Amino acid sequence: MPKCTIDGREVEFKAGENLIEVARKVGIEVPYFCYHPALTVVAQCRMCAVEVEKMPKLQTACSTPAAEGMVVRTNSERAKQNQKSIMEFLLINHPLDCPICDKAGECDLQDNSYKYGDAYMRTSEERRTYLDLDMGPVIKKNMNRCIHCTRCIRFGTEVAGIHEMVAVQRGNNTEITTIDGRPLETDYAGNYADICPTGSLTLKDFRFHKRAWMLKKTATVCEGCSKGCNMEIHQDNNVIHRTVPRANPEINKYWLCDEGRFNYHYVVDPKRVTAPKVGAERSTWHAAVAEAKARLHGKKVVVLAGTDLTLEEAKLLQDFVPKAFPGSALLHFGTPGIETTAKDAPADKILKRKSKTSNLNGFEKLGIKPLESMPAADAILVVRGGRAQLPKVEGLSNVIGLGVFTESESASFAAVLPGTSFAEKDGTIVNYEGREQRLRRAITPVGQSKALGEVLMLWLHSGAAKEAAV
Amino acid sequence: MAGQPTSFETMYVQHFNEEARPLAYYLAKMNGYEAAKKAFGMTKDAIIDEVKKASLRGRGGAGFPCGMKWGFIPKESPKPKYLVCNADESEPGTFKDRDIMRYTPHMLIEGMLIGSFAIGAKAGYIYIRGEYVREAKLLNEAIDEAYAKGYLGKNVLGSGHDFDLTVHRGAGAYICGEETGLLNSLEGKRGEPRVKPPFPAQAGAFGGPTIVNNVETLADIPSIITKGGEWFAKMGKLEKSGGTRLFSISGHVKKPGVYELPSGGYTLRQAIFDVCGGMLDDKKLKAVIPGGSSAPVLTADEIDVVLDVEPVMKIGSMLGSAAIMVIDEDTCMVKLIQRITKFYAHESCGQCTPCREGCKWMEDIIERILHGHGKMEDLDLLMSITDNINGKTLCALGDAAAGPVASFVKKFRSEFEAYIRGEKHA
Amino acid sequence: MAKVLSEKFYAEMKKLEPRYPTKVALLLPALHAAQDELGWLSSETMEEIGSYIGIHPAQVKEVASFYTMYNLKPVGKYHLKICTNVACCLRGAYDVVEHTEKKLGIKVGQTTPDKQFTLHEEECLGACGTAPAMMLNNDYVENLDIRKMDEVLAKLGVKG
Repeated sequence: MPKCTIDGREVEFKAGENLIEVARKVGIEVPYFCYHPALTVVAQCRMCAVEVEKMPKLQTACSTPAAEGMVVRTNSERAKQNQKSIMEFLLINHPLDCPICDKAGECDLQDNSYKYGDAYMRTSEERRTYLDLDMGPVIKKNMNRCIHCTRCIRFGTEVAGIHEMVAVQRGNNTEITTIDGRPLETDYAGNYADICPTGSLTLKDFRFHKRAWMLKKTATVCEGCSKGCNMEIHQDNNVIHRTVPRANPEINKYWLCDEGRFNYHYVVDPKRVTAPKVGAERSTWHAAVAEAKARLHGKKVVVLAGTDLTLEEAKLLQDFVPKAFPGSALLHFGTPGIETTAKDAPADKILKRKSKTSNLNGFEKLGIKPLESMPAADAILVVRGGRAQLPKVEGLSNVIGLGVFTESESASFAAVLPGTSFAEKDGTIVNYEGREQRLRRAITPVGQSKALGEVLMLWLHSGAAKEAAV
Repeated sequence: MAGQPTSFETMYVQHFNEEARPLAYYLAKMNGYEAAKKAFGMTKDAIIDEVKKASLRGRGGAGFPCGMKWGFIPKESPKPKYLVCNADESEPGTFKDRDIMRYTPHMLIEGMLIGSFAIGAKAGYIYIRGEYVREAKLLNEAIDEAYAKGYLGKNVLGSGHDFDLTVHRGAGAYICGEETGLLNSLEGKRGEPRVKPPFPAQAGAFGGPTIVNNVETLADIPSIITKGGEWFAKMGKLEKSGGTRLFSISGHVKKPGVYELPSGGYTLRQAIFDVCGGMLDDKKLKAVIPGGSSAPVLTADEIDVVLDVEPVMKIGSMLGSAAIMVIDEDTCMVKLIQRITKFYAHESCGQCTPCREGCKWMEDIIERILHGHGKMEDLDLLMSITDNINGKTLCALGDAAAGPVASFVKKFRSEFEAYIRGEKHA
Repeated sequence: MAKVLSEKFYAEMKKLEPRYPTKVALLLPALHAAQDELGWLSSETMEEIGSYIGIHPAQVKEVASFYTMYNLKPVGKYHLKICTNVACCLRGAYDVVEHTEKKLGIKVGQTTPDKQFTLHEEECLGACGTAPAMMLNNDYVENLDIRKMDEVLAKLGVKG
């Protein structure tokens, strides 16, 4: 492999790699704003300029491919002076409203200012200000904070495939915006906030909810479809405040769709049933389990399992069903029309897939059959994680729900035994291409919800003598 | 005896009148399209060699050797190649290309025909600044004439070479004079300069290998082919610069206008006092901007410099597009630099940080000084900002804005101080 | 939506299309042609151009707003753009601007209430040898001074 020297250290690189990436390999940070590994290199912010031997001018590391024998200094006096000056230029017109800005604590501008900027400002001119137009339900724009890195524009055209975010006017008056106050059209809009290196584009869903540094982060996987995009859940005090993409070059790169990003809301939805229910009434675990058992006892039972459950949960059901209801069928449900992986396909050119649950592939691997049409049955046990779309069970009097349901979804159920969502458990899911990934528990189960294993244990072992302990 | 000197051979000025425009005149009086015929009988390498021998340097401002530039174009390319003429003529003070397009458009068309053959381009564009509505129309008329007589189109003059030429109008943006900004504009985008590399010769217009040349550069080509590179080189008086150059001289002189002078053949003093007849109203000379408004200013005692690329560079300025702006003793240099800085702030495309933020910041500071709110530290601050812009921007506009400010503050500091001390008011 | 651009516009575009390898390259010529026809570029016009070329209207506006010659707001019947860049300002362009402001009763950037005149300061027009210069709609007026401006305005019906 060819080698170059960065800050005195010899580094191997692959042909075409730029100096930011090559430096990163040996732990040398070259600061930048406009560069993003998944977007076109534009070399606009000029923050990453470094000294390259034999070149009279500083070179932007983002746009300079490493070359054999190249000698680079990222921290020479000239490079440092340039970083200081770029920070000064960027802050001339920045409002410095960090105390009321949602980006504070995870802001590239703030971080780089602290590391590379000067403590003093030499400007006394009036700051440039803009009126903010609305951008629809997902993103709140504050143009005054913008540093014109154009990452959002490039994300729109290059990733989301829509040229809706643009630069209008030019020079010092350039405004990054949608036109005429139009709402953003892409259903990947949340990414605009992620890639914004300042608080110019923030998520309406997250604004003013929590300071970034108070959030505890759990690496997990999105359950929104069979793609298996990697994500982080950010919570504090057992309340999820947002989910963000976690980079995985092989699956989702740096992105999440809005559907997946905002899917978490049902976990903390006040309409979610988080206490056992008998009929329409709130109940206790022992009474609800007893009711459920009684309703299904001696009946012709069908067990329906959502493909939003983990492999481990599916396996538990495969063991449980023959013991509890000998001869009963265990069938899976999830997305109407996409009952098998053969019917699953990309739903757009970016990430989304047609199967709107995370583990259809896993269920197939375990040999569990899909629910094609409702078999004749006197009673149904529906088990689901919270995402799978419920099959029509109206008109049946003996339906028991086990898992995550809303009040309205379960209104006709004989009993509900509240279970856990993807954010409240560990487990394995298998994406459309057969990749096994782990869900990680980010919060403890909400309310009185219990893990599936625990509920099944109760079911199998609860009797009159043990009821008091439940 | 002021006016165009006649003591040397010229290519343009004798034809700079309305009668010269039609194809008939070009054919009859200017040996029209004979150079193209000759070129079609030469190899492509031989044409490029002839241009190299001519020491023809780009007339747009950078002064890059034209033959060398043509040599960068790959011989084989999977993508179509293009020849683009930069007729944006946006550097303030420059108005020579307008005369070529107005009076001798066929020199340009024939130059492009030869150039396209040499680099293997089948399509060419003349990117003309939007304001030149009339010149665009005249060019289109000349192009129609050329098509009608078979000097453009399929199999030109039986050479087997196809060449389509299209006039593309800009729409008011200085930055489109920068070649990659121009290419973006040609492609229907914002005229924002591109990151280089890749250079246009590798990936230019529509992704194909592209040569961008100034109007005058291309219009020089037929004469070079007809009379030989050596002849052209000898017209210049310094080693590296061949040919004559069209100087746009404006400001406080008696006879402003376009003059054709040998490269390196005249000093700035001669240009002002002999060619242009001296100072308007016989005022005293205070300063000269020698190469378009982006060139650092020269004081009255620096005008013995020879007008060519290297000599002007040696004294810290540049010849640029050979646009000389002459400034008399009554001119307020602070007001003048305010106007220049305002221009660059207005024309900054806004992509890169130092230019977008720095140009406006300088404008604001100078404006504040003019209105009596300046501080002595502001002058050091201005110098420091110019340092932070110079050489740090994506394209040359940053340097174009910083150079003049630094030179004005350095050379006319006392005028700024007078405002700061409250002795002068805007 | 009813079309705002004429058959002539579309015919002109059709003629230009083979001149470029991409359709987007027609954007600047299309904006010029539309403005020649309608005087300025409204959101509807830009939307129609966008759908003709096959690009998002935001892309049209992004480009149109970059260039100063495209009027994104209506302008008067006579659009006066006086160059005040170096050569013109050395030759007294600001006096001409000031005089014109007084004469028309508007400031730079404004349009007269009768929608006859819009006045703008312009950057270098490339007519420095005949400074000061201005554009009156698509035409140049050069060697400008107060007297010549008065003559021009008189011809356009401005009294006094």
